[in-house]
Amino acid sequence: MQFLIYRYDPQSGARPHMQAYDLAPGHGEHMLLDALIRLHEQDDSLAFRRSCREGVCGSDAMNINGRNGLACVTPLASLKEPVTLRPLPSFPVIRDLVVDMTRFFRHYHAIRPYVVDDDPPPERERLQTPAERAELDGLYECILCACCTGFCPSYWWNPERYLGPAALLQAMRFIADSRDHATGERLEFLDDAYRLFRCRSIMNCTEVCPKGLNPNRAIDRIRMRMLKHEV
Amino acid sequence: MKSVLTGLRAWTVQRVSAAYLLFFLLFALAWVAVHHPMSEAQWRAWVTSGGMREATMLFFAALLAHMWVGLRDVVLDYVKPLLVRTAVLGVLALGLAALGSWTALILIRA
Amino acid sequence: MNARSDAPRFLNLFQIRFPVGAICSIGHRVSGVILAAAVPLVVYALDRSLAGPQAYARLAAALATAAGKTAVVVLAWALAHHALAGIRHVLKDVDVGASLGTARRSAWLVLAVGGIIALATAVLVA
Repeated sequence: MQFLIYRYDPQSGARPHMQAYDLAPGHGEHMLLDALIRLHEQDDSLAFRRSCREGVCGSDAMNINGRNGLACVTPLASLKEPVTLRPLPSFPVIRDLVVDMTRFFRHYHAIRPYVVDDDPPPERERLQTPAERAELDGLYECILCACCTGFCPSYWWNPERYLGPAALLQAMRFIADSRDHATGERLEFLDDAYRLFRCRSIMNCTEVCPKGLNPNRAIDRIRMRMLKHEV
Repeated sequence: MKSVLTGLRAWTVQRVSAAYLLFFLLFALAWVAVHHPMSEAQWRAWVTSGGMREATMLFFAALLAHMWVGLRDVVLDYVKPLLVRTAVLGVLALGLAALGSWTALILIRA
Repeated sequence: MNARSDAPRFLNLFQIRFPVGAICSIGHRVSGVILAAAVPLVVYALDRSLAGPQAYARLAAALATAAGKTAVVVLAWALAHHALAGIRHVLKDVDVGASLGTARRSAWLVLAVGGIIALATAVLVA
């Protein structure tokens, strides 16, 4: 199989370039990550992140043939050649396919990704009804791989101040949590020109989510909650 | 203007104005289609008739509000240097205000 | 691990494969800017149309030229696409057609109907 991979070495001072590789996938090697690991055996200067290799840790997000995805859950058979791999769009590149996630996680922390409840803790756990728990479905499964945020044009143009789809999906996850007491504060925090309202509902986020989640729908739901909160 | 019309409020203005723009345009286009071809006298009588003048003014008011929210979004996305951005938004606001005054003048005098 | 402050970023829009929703969305923006740019012309046309029979006749003649007809077709596309994409957004706001499959289909529909309305207008004014 033909591969074309974005290479950048911060030490060399050279500009990024595309490097061609050729590889015959071995027996039992079905996923793009398997091929990347083999390529790394040939050329150990090739840098990429990976950990769980089964779509749970969210480490190996990259731009695969023009769309963001996780290498570990992308079947080689689904890819047109040359398989073109680039780092997540708009993220600062540290080396090859490894990008700097600092700002991504700063935006995640900004939405306070934890249940806020200043009441004294009860004897046992804070209970939810099954219906309340079901409100979190489609929100809690996010693995923070940044496929969505790295594919969002609104984030490309305003990465400093727009929080991006991943952080906003998490914002909805805590707004929807029956145990959280900070819903009003959360909604007011998001009601400015940038944090949420740069979203133009392009839906690129939903297109590329490897977990099949719908961050755009979460953002729409936040806007509706804001409207109800205001009235 | 930025603090008055931002976030949820701007979003609401965009939706509400859009609804009026759509209904007015559909009504106006249908009327023009039915009365085609139209003489100058017919056109003038329609535009200046009771209610229509006010509805048209409201249309342009909604249009200008809708344009401000939409064009401001475009500027915030693509114009980065703060000074240039502020200047562009300022020119835009002045332009829209001028356009509004001009339209009001046309409709009042007609 | 942090990138250098002068770190490169990959953001070549020609090397990114855009889904149909993104095409529909950029169409919404482009059509909106076209419509906004046309508003001063529309106001000028309104002014002329109410400035007496002669001005009205001159305006009608200007609209009947090739340039006038082209402008009408472009504005018809922009208006149709912008309105349809807007309706799609408002429906999505209230959770109608917010799933990925439906949103893809509605994006195709908006693009197609916008094109059909532009074509129909071209036939009508030709």
